[in-house]
Amino acid sequence: MSGGYRQQPGASGGTTRKDGKRVAGKQAFPPPGSGGSRPKMSTRDLDFIPESVGGKEPQPAGSHIHDRVRTGTSVGKEMPLVDSNAKVTGQAWYGDDVRLPNEVIGKILRSPHHYAKIKSIDTSRVEALPGVLAVATGADSPHRFGVLPVTKDEHAMAVEKVRHVGDLVACVAAIDEATALEALNLFDVEWEVLEPVFDPKKGLEDADEPIHWRGKYHLAKTNVQKRVFQEFGDRSLVEKPHAASHGKWNMAGVHHGFTEPHAVVAHWDPNGRLQLYTPQQVPHYTHRALSTVLEVPMHQINVIRTFVGGGFGGKSDPFPHEMCAAILSRKSGRPVRITFDREEVYWINRGRHPSHIEVKMTADEDARISGFDIDALIDGGGFASFGHVTSYYNGVLATAPYELGSFHYTGARVWTNKPASGAMRGHGAVNTRCAVEVGLDEMAETMKVDPIDLRLANLLPPHSRTISGFRITSNGMREALEKVREGSNWDDKFRQLPLGKGIGIGCGFFISGSGLPIHWDPNRFPHATVHMQVDMDGGVTVHTGAADIGQGSTTAVAQVVSEVLALPIEMIHVRSHESDTSPVDLGSYSSRVTFMNANAAIRAALEIREQLLNAAWEILGYHPNNLVLNDRRIYYKHDPAIGVSYLKALHKAQEDKGALIASGAYRSPPMGGVHKGAAAGLAPAYSFSAYVAEVDVDVETGLIKCTNVWAAHDCGKALNPLAVKGQIIGSCHMGLGQVLSEKMVYGRTGHLQNPNLLDYKIPSVYEMPHVEPIIIESCDPEGPFGAKEAGEGPLLPILPAVVNAVYDAIGIRLRDLPLTPDVVFKGIEKALKASEHEDPTDLPSPRLTHGALQPTLVARAQEHKIRDKARQRTEDTSPYVNGVLFGFDPTIPLEDQVEGWRTATEPDPEQLAELGLAGRAWLKKEQRHMEGEN
Amino acid sequence: MVGSEHIEMIPAPENKIWSAEVNGTPVEVLAPSNAVLLDVLRDKVGTLGVKRGCDLGTCGCCTVMVDGAPRLSCLCLAGQVEGASIITVEGLADGAHLAPIQACFAEYGGSQCGFCTPGFLISAQALLNENDTPTDQDIACAIDGNLCRCTGYQQIIESIQGAAAIHRGEVAGPAPASDPHPDPHPEGPDEPNMPPGHAR
Ligand code: FES
Ligand code: FES
Repeated sequence: MSGGYRQQPGASGGTTRKDGKRVAGKQAFPPPGSGGSRPKMSTRDLDFIPESVGGKEPQPAGSHIHDRVRTGTSVGKEMPLVDSNAKVTGQAWYGDDVRLPNEVIGKILRSPHHYAKIKSIDTSRVEALPGVLAVATGADSPHRFGVLPVTKDEHAMAVEKVRHVGDLVACVAAIDEATALEALNLFDVEWEVLEPVFDPKKGLEDADEPIHWRGKYHLAKTNVQKRVFQEFGDRSLVEKPHAASHGKWNMAGVHHGFTEPHAVVAHWDPNGRLQLYTPQQVPHYTHRALSTVLEVPMHQINVIRTFVGGGFGGKSDPFPHEMCAAILSRKSGRPVRITFDREEVYWINRGRHPSHIEVKMTADEDARISGFDIDALIDGGGFASFGHVTSYYNGVLATAPYELGSFHYTGARVWTNKPASGAMRGHGAVNTRCAVEVGLDEMAETMKVDPIDLRLANLLPPHSRTISGFRITSNGMREALEKVREGSNWDDKFRQLPLGKGIGIGCGFFISGSGLPIHWDPNRFPHATVHMQVDMDGGVTVHTGAADIGQGSTTAVAQVVSEVLALPIEMIHVRSHESDTSPVDLGSYSSRVTFMNANAAIRAALEIREQLLNAAWEILGYHPNNLVLNDRRIYYKHDPAIGVSYLKALHKAQEDKGALIASGAYRSPPMGGVHKGAAAGLAPAYSFSAYVAEVDVDVETGLIKCTNVWAAHDCGKALNPLAVKGQIIGSCHMGLGQVLSEKMVYGRTGHLQNPNLLDYKIPSVYEMPHVEPIIIESCDPEGPFGAKEAGEGPLLPILPAVVNAVYDAIGIRLRDLPLTPDVVFKGIEKALKASEHEDPTDLPSPRLTHGALQPTLVARAQEHKIRDKARQRTEDTSPYVNGVLFGFDPTIPLEDQVEGWRTATEPDPEQLAELGLAGRAWLKKEQRHMEGEN
Repeated sequence: MVGSEHIEMIPAPENKIWSAEVNGTPVEVLAPSNAVLLDVLRDKVGTLGVKRGCDLGTCGCCTVMVDGAPRLSCLCLAGQVEGASIITVEGLADGAHLAPIQACFAEYGGSQCGFCTPGFLISAQALLNENDTPTDQDIACAIDGNLCRCTGYQQIIESIQGAAAIHRGEVAGPAPASDPHPDPHPEGPDEPNMPPGHAR
């Protein structure tokens, strides 16, 4: 251990006099940091270094550009979340755990009416109550905000009218909760009650007083917030179908059901800056909205994301109560804490849209899917929230993983006087996906083929384009289907189980990060930025705005940095809580964090790595190409004894400039078409999944129990298999809730009847089946180390898998979700009436004898498997677009080959008459086109 | 909070001294005589690890151990447990030493967002105190009052089984979490372990 730091450069080692005293000025400096507490460098973990760079990690899907910086340190290893110790000791601080000195309690007055004008609010009695420190109403916050820049329709508190029961009317801050609650009783509000709308179908019609008014863009006088029309492909293909399926679905609204109720603490500090603590998935939106509402520049606001007790999309809007807390704190001069009770959580909602979905599909004589025809009417509740996007997602996210002859989608989102729907895990894709997958099952039935083979013979290959122009890169769909077929013993069970027992398949397709950062031009700013700093002590501080909501984004970022720099994960410190210190980031939604932030983090880490290697070059005299990073040490490739510790290299690198600083950014490549709405659903990569579910159905009571699930998900590369499995199982849980028990129940009077966790049925441990998570690694060329999302996509397939399994068990197609016993039993009763049986236990169980098409499909699937493998490994790089299966040439634009190949975003006049339910929104005109008609 | 009828303010109940043993330490706090245990623990005692998910006895986040048995603190008046020994999530670890159940929740992915975790830990610890060879069914029984929206329970059950193995002595327990032991090689590793295939 020589060569330490000396006080006087160049001086010889400290000398000791005969009497044992050291000579002054010659002591070694204490070392400024340490390289960790393990004394020895560990050996390179070849099991986690890819084959392509000399390791032993198999790469069936080919190599990756990040392979060369793999060090075998963290990536691909099962790791506990880096913040798990805080969570298991109770030290993690969630919204309501922020207790500032001198805090006061805020409470919100909520509307008792579904729809009403506020004629006046008298707050004098409130203000007179001793202990009340501040009162605010809509008059204090005239500015609109909303999560999407195109649909800002919310206020901190109702300005003119309330739009649903539970809408915010006023708020109050008082010295304690009891006083604040009492104060709520003292508001005198004069109402003018208006005629509410609850049924989304009614929302399509003209109303006396539409819930919002969009001026010249308003659609007649309806409550339609957004309508979408999209048509691609060759519509003539659907004319003479060989097989068809037609289903009308009714899907109830569901709620995220996160365990932590919303809470917020606002504090105007003595410098006049707002410090706002909130469990947010997207602190940046809140930041923007606060700035607008409070009329304060953004840099005067610090949004501090607390730990988030579950989000799932439900904590990604900027919320009115966040504005209320800030307003109250500004007025009272004291920190204000507002915490919701469970009921309030349901009033703010933002759950999955209640939907009416109609899906028609057709297949031709070769069992190719000639057309999807989807119509989705979604109930948006009182505000827009993410609804603009949801309206698109309900259609466009069904354009893969299958190759389609044509695609037709009409969607409409309407305002109703209910709590607002918004984004929820699997945003917009879940309901249609369920309808589509069940339709495929039905078509397979009529064609007498196995539904898995039907899918396998119609998949888009890797590196292809969907019919809507989405660019698919890696694609593990085929492998996922094969794995679940094998794991579940499908071929021995499907259509062979006794009555009451069933097995079903479902697939999923989801975006891995939205291609469009909705608040800015992707050509001007990157999607994600990560800063990194390494100082003398050797620890690496990573600043990112990625919001860890339990999915483990902090861990993912720490892991990739640890991997690149070959440092133990304890040496990586991710700071992501404060907007003051973290770069602007879009937060956790649309499954973007792993893909975008980890990519940005890798870039920053690469810069640091280069500086370290250059320093080591100076010390060792070997070019960085010949140096290896491994566990806090850099050494010569051919002789590990020639090396330098990480810390020494770091200090060398710091000599001239102090702490090493780097910044990395991620921006998605340009992609997608140019038609209206082309950006919706566009993503730098897509995840694929296939599930098989097994159910028991009690034919006498209608009770369904899901017993087993084989869940294969293509996440590109599992950075942390433990977390990926957790996401898969958790997604199953949430999807099972939606398909079997969860439902926001609105009564005849439009009132939400179950705003609590007793009547809103989230599956408990007893309802959970055994889930076998199967990770598929398709190694995405642009993902960080090949990774794609794993947080939302895995939810999609569970719904159709269960619905299809129920059919396999009892031979009845049910299309009302959730499949609660009463729904199932009604179906059974109907089936009994239609048959000659009286006893439900006599119902026939569906059986399958393969038809003539089956061998065709198997042969085609086999052929495609070879094609896909070559494309996945980029041995075949020829272009492939949706349509090749139908005989088109991928190198010539399809429009030029086929008469009638369409890309349309508005219906032709002659189509108007045949549009579906939501399509009817196209019968109306926007106000600006209605001149003189009123 | 929705509704227009006026409810007269209940005259503030008198404050009383509430005493109990929380996590092994005697505490005395001044609290309203009708206070709910959850409020007292969070607002007066300061054990913020006890979470409020619903206030209605439906989520289990607020579970604490009262004289060894798990109990929903949101459904319990503080007065009912006056003088009892209460253990919250903060009382599970022994100093810097995580309890096996805590270490296993971290290791097996039993905690994602972590909000439900304190409740699960207490329910699980209460089970393990009685039974260190639980079947999965026993575990389901012990945690059926706890709701988790993130994990789908499977990894929670694995965590509890992992901790049970430690309780049985089959596997070594967790190491101290933040033991500030001196660093034997302050400058980082200088002696390489030869990577295979790279020996001189
Ligand atoms: S807070 Fe006690 S059970 Fe939910
Ligand atoms: S870990 Fe989030 S609710 Fe259980």
